[in-house]
Amino acid sequence: MNKHPYLRAYMAGIFTPSLVLLLVLTMFIMVRLVFQVPIPLERVIVFPMALVPNLFGVWNMLYVWYRGRVPIGFHGALLPVIMAPLGALIAKHLGVLTFGPQGITWFQQVTTPYSMIVPWFCAEFFATMVVYYLVWKYIVGALNRVLEIA
Amino acid sequence: MNPSEQKRIAKLLKQSLPKVTDDGAHLGRDLWPAMLQRLQQPDARTAWFEQAWFNQPWFDWALGAAVVAWLAFFPSAIPVLLYHL
Repeated sequence: MNKHPYLRAYMAGIFTPSLVLLLVLTMFIMVRLVFQVPIPLERVIVFPMALVPNLFGVWNMLYVWYRGRVPIGFHGALLPVIMAPLGALIAKHLGVLTFGPQGITWFQQVTTPYSMIVPWFCAEFFATMVVYYLVWKYIVGALNRVLEIA
Repeated sequence: MNPSEQKRIAKLLKQSLPKVTDDGAHLGRDLWPAMLQRLQQPDARTAWFEQAWFNQPWFDWALGAAVVAWLAFFPSAIPVLLYHL
């Protein structure tokens, strides 16, 4: 079972976002088609569908490469440091995130005024880090143990 | 390797290793005080993520509860959070 540790790390990494993607897709489709909220779904879904699973996989390969000197939860919690700016950049490029005169608007629906941008960003970033910490500690860590790479 | 070669190698090995004499078997000083001093020293500083409270289940539950509470108060943050997952 010592063969291809990076391939196994990649597969263990993409497991969680691939499952969560079903949930995200279901929610966005419900909001878009059932509740008729005009979210540009085809543009929103690009980042969670194409990039997030691959980033998870590569991040787990990196964890295996440096032989887990930091606990896996903290390693995973650092991923939003890369993903948040990348996600915001892609969202801005695709028109999912727009900068208006009053504030920033996500998905053409959720507007945050500029006066609240710093606390909102800090809270959102902290929440994302916590979710990532828990996901990596309990799900990716367990998968790594099952695949004998941790 | 035949028996004569084994004997020859054994002889060469014995010649190459220094003999242990009674004088050499005793240490020049008592090591116990230094060992005692080492044992009485405080533990080396642990990394902040190795501290016990970080590894307690209640810490993870508290973090999860904080996020759930925040999302309950600010549901507009849910799509942005899901976008990054």
